[in-house]
Parts: sequence; C-alpha cells; structure tokens
Amino acid sequence: MENVWLITALWVGLALAAALLSVRFAVSVALTEIVVGAIAGNLIHLQISEWVNWLAGFGAILLTFLAGVEIDIGIVKRNFWSTMSVGLMGFFAPYLGILLFARFVYGWPWDQAQIAGIALSTTSVAVVYAVMVETGFNRTEIGKIILAACFINDLGTVMALGLVFANYNLWLLFFAVLTIIVLFLLPRLVPWFFETIGTRVSEPEIKLIFLVLLGVGGLASVAKSEAVLPAYLIGMVLAPTFARYQVIAHRMRAIAFATMTPFYFLKAGSLVQARTIITAAGLIGVYFGLKMLTKFGGILPLTKAFRFDAREGMYTTLLMCTGLTFGTISALFGLTNHIIDETQYTVLVTAVILSAVIPTLIAERWFQPDYRPLDSEQQQQQPAN
Amino acid sequence: MYQKILVAHDGSPGAFAALTAALDLAARLEAEIHMVSVTQLPAFPGTMDEVIEEQDEGRRHFQPVVDRAKKLAALKGLTLEAHVLPGHPVKVIADFVRDRAFDLLVVGFMGHSAVYNSLIGSTTDRLVNHAPSAVLVVK
Repeated sequence: MENVWLITALWVGLALAAALLSVRFAVSVALTEIVVGAIAGNLIHLQISEWVNWLAGFGAILLTFLAGVEIDIGIVKRNFWSTMSVGLMGFFAPYLGILLFARFVYGWPWDQAQIAGIALSTTSVAVVYAVMVETGFNRTEIGKIILAACFINDLGTVMALGLVFANYNLWLLFFAVLTIIVLFLLPRLVPWFFETIGTRVSEPEIKLIFLVLLGVGGLASVAKSEAVLPAYLIGMVLAPTFARYQVIAHRMRAIAFATMTPFYFLKAGSLVQARTIITAAGLIGVYFGLKMLTKFGGILPLTKAFRFDAREGMYTTLLMCTGLTFGTISALFGLTNHIIDETQYTVLVTAVILSAVIPTLIAERWFQPDYRPLDSEQQQQQPAN
Repeated sequence: MYQKILVAHDGSPGAFAALTAALDLAARLEAEIHMVSVTQLPAFPGTMDEVIEEQDEGRRHFQPVVDRAKKLAALKGLTLEAHVLPGHPVKVIADFVRDRAFDLLVVGFMGHSAVYNSLIGSTTDRLVNHAPSAVLVVK
C-alpha cells in the first residue's frame, strides 16, 4: 500500500531541490523542475498516482489562466493587423508544416501528427517577455507588438488543443454556449465580486476563480476538449480586472507555484525517457529544426512586410521560435489521452526544451537590435524614493 | 582624475564596503556618484509569472539598500543617483558603464563559495574583465 505522506515528501523534496537550483543558477524554475523530474523519473522511477495527476492537471489549468491574464488587449487592438498576422502565422506555419511532415514523411497517424504539430507550434511568451524586460524592448512599440503576437500564437495552440480532439456532439455545443456566456459575464461579475467582498483571509476571490476554472474545465473534459482552452480564454477576459487587483494575481501565483505547478513540471519531466533522447537524437533534431524552419518561413517575410528592419525581423522571428510551457502541455495531453506513446512524448518534449534555449541564445548573441533603452527601463525599475 | 564614479551594489556587506570607499573617493574628487543594482531574471523562463515575481522581489530587495545608500551619501554631503536594472549583472553593469561613460567602477568583493568561484567565476572577476573603465575592487 502506498504511503501517501512519504511519496508526497519525495515530490516536494524534488520541487524544493529544483527551486534551490533555479535560484542558485538563475535559470527558470519550470525548466529546472522538468530536468529534475527527468533525472528522478529515470533514476528512481517516480510514482505518478491519481492525486499527482490531479495536482499536475490543476497546475496546468492555473498556468494557462495566469498566462491569459497577462495579455494586453489594447495592444492587439492598436496593432491589429501586424499582431494578428504575425501571431497566426507563428502558429499555422509550424502547426501545418510539422503536422504534414510527421504524417507523410515519418508516417505518424493523423492524431499523433496533430499532437506533434500543436506541441511545436507554440511560442514562449515568458522567454520573449524576459528578453524584452532585460533589453527594455517591452517598452517599445515593436516589443509590444511581438509580445501581443506571441499571445495570439499561443491562443492558436490552445484553440487547436481544445478543438482538434473534441467530440463534435451536443456536449461540445453545450460547453461552447456556456463558455461564451461565462466569458461575457465574468468581466462584469468578477470586479463587482472583488469590490464587494474585499480582502479576506478565506480568499473568496480566489475560490470564485477556481470554481469557474474547474467548472468550465470539467465541462470541457466531458466534451473531450481540453480544460486549458477555457482557462486561457477566461484569463484573457479577466486581464483588465487582474491588472487592477495585482495582489490577487500574486496570491494565485504563490498558490500555483508552491503547490501545483511543481507537480506538473516534475511529472512532465519524469515521463521523458533518457534512452530515447539518445536513440532518437536525430528525430529530435529534425523536429526542432522543422520548428525553426517553419517559423522562419512564416514570420520572417511578414516582418519585412510590416517594415521591421532586417535585424529586428531576425530578432522577432528567433524569439517567436521559442516554446516551453504550452509545448509540454500539448505533449502531455497527447500522452495522457493515449494519443502518443512515451517515445514520441520524449521526442516532442525534448524538441520543445531545445526550442526554449537555442533560439534565445542566438537572438541575444547575434541579432539583438542596436537600440539600448536602458534609460527608460531604469525609470520603470527604480524604486520610489 | 575620476569625474563619474559608479558603484555596483548587490546588497551584501562587501558591496556596502565598496559604497563607503566610493563615497570617500567621490567626496575627495568632487565626482558624480551613481549606484547600480541588478535584478537577475531567470534564464529561459517557463511562465511570465516567474519573471514578474522576480522583478517584484528585486524591487523589494533593493528598496532598503537604496534608502540606506542615499543616507550614507547624504552624510558626506553627496547626492547619490541609484539605478535598479533587470538582467544579467555582469552584462548590465558593463553596458551601463559604457553607455553612461563612467570612468571608474567600484565593486565589492562579492563572495561566492570557493567551488562556485572555481567553476563559474565570481561576478567581481568578470566585471574586472568586461567593464570598459578602470575598476576598483574593495575587499
């Protein structure tokens, strides 16, 4: 019989080790948790019980919700054509390119090829945002357009994940109608609720958000859709509200990062097979290369059409080649629903991790535009006197 | 001699020793004195939340450091300009020295463990190598 406390202690110990390593080496805690999970999974065969699956699943929902909350709809509206075209091309070019390659060159069945296309279609908004903050480009118009395009790219990914594998029946119709009603009501209901109830130790604001995410996410599952789809959309419509109530977003992050997302990233890593990384290194390289190639084919010409200069165009395209969280969410969705096997999962997740690191290094090393906005950034960062 | 002095400050006791030396020097030379602190963001973050929280933590961490540094400068009759920037410390500080044309960078002995120093190298070592100005290391 399993000793739930000892097993929990092992998972939490791994999460703590990953957190300490990430602090020591100033590397993403998400990436560190995946690597620690992969090492533990291969060395000690981590036990993945139902409650680990539940925590990991809720962690993925919260990650997606919190990602949606950060979108700035105003930027998308102000730069509609450039944002939408770069964002949609950033999704469709790799999605279709890799889908067709996996199906017709490697002979993967359609569903498995779909997972490959979706997992490698993503852009890491987080990597792009961190690079922007460090260089100060997040305060420039081009930086804002790139960031907004990344959100649109990821919206394409979660839409595909939520719709490609859904059962097109009455449940899906019910889920779609209910989601539309919820998306319409929430921007009115939530600010009123936050204002009326105030800040309490029992955190009713957070419970309300959890209730909505779990309720609509549950309906998505019944319709064989994916709970991260409504979570991202709900995050997007609540973005203006959370911009006003940042302390609630901070508390939600604390809950998510302390208790749920470590289980998600550790689990995602633990399912990676070390042996497959070696035996399928060629295929991993091909998928990673294809992601880069298709992103370049789709986005670089658009940057020219929208009159980015050559260096800015390369920089934008390279940053949009990145990906991590939504890539692993998509691959894990495929594995959990028995669409892909562990070998395919390992191939896709490793290609996703490569895409988080290599394009960023190339962009920062060789293609960072000349503009150095340190002065403006400094004003933003400088503590109040 | 030196007209624009920058002191790099990570909030450690060693950095306060460097600040004290830099303030003495600035008072004696009647030089402009600035202080820079760097909030290191995680490389290859998986979520925007990681970046946002690190930025917030950096502001919280450096606010009392900036307040104390300004008080020390005021005691010597100097006005200290403080800058808190995000990024990799060595790159950000070296770029800042270059962009603002500082002629002296003052750094404290930022101690890591011996293992860390031998494997990765200390921030101070790398600043001495990369800063495009004279560098004074205070121990």
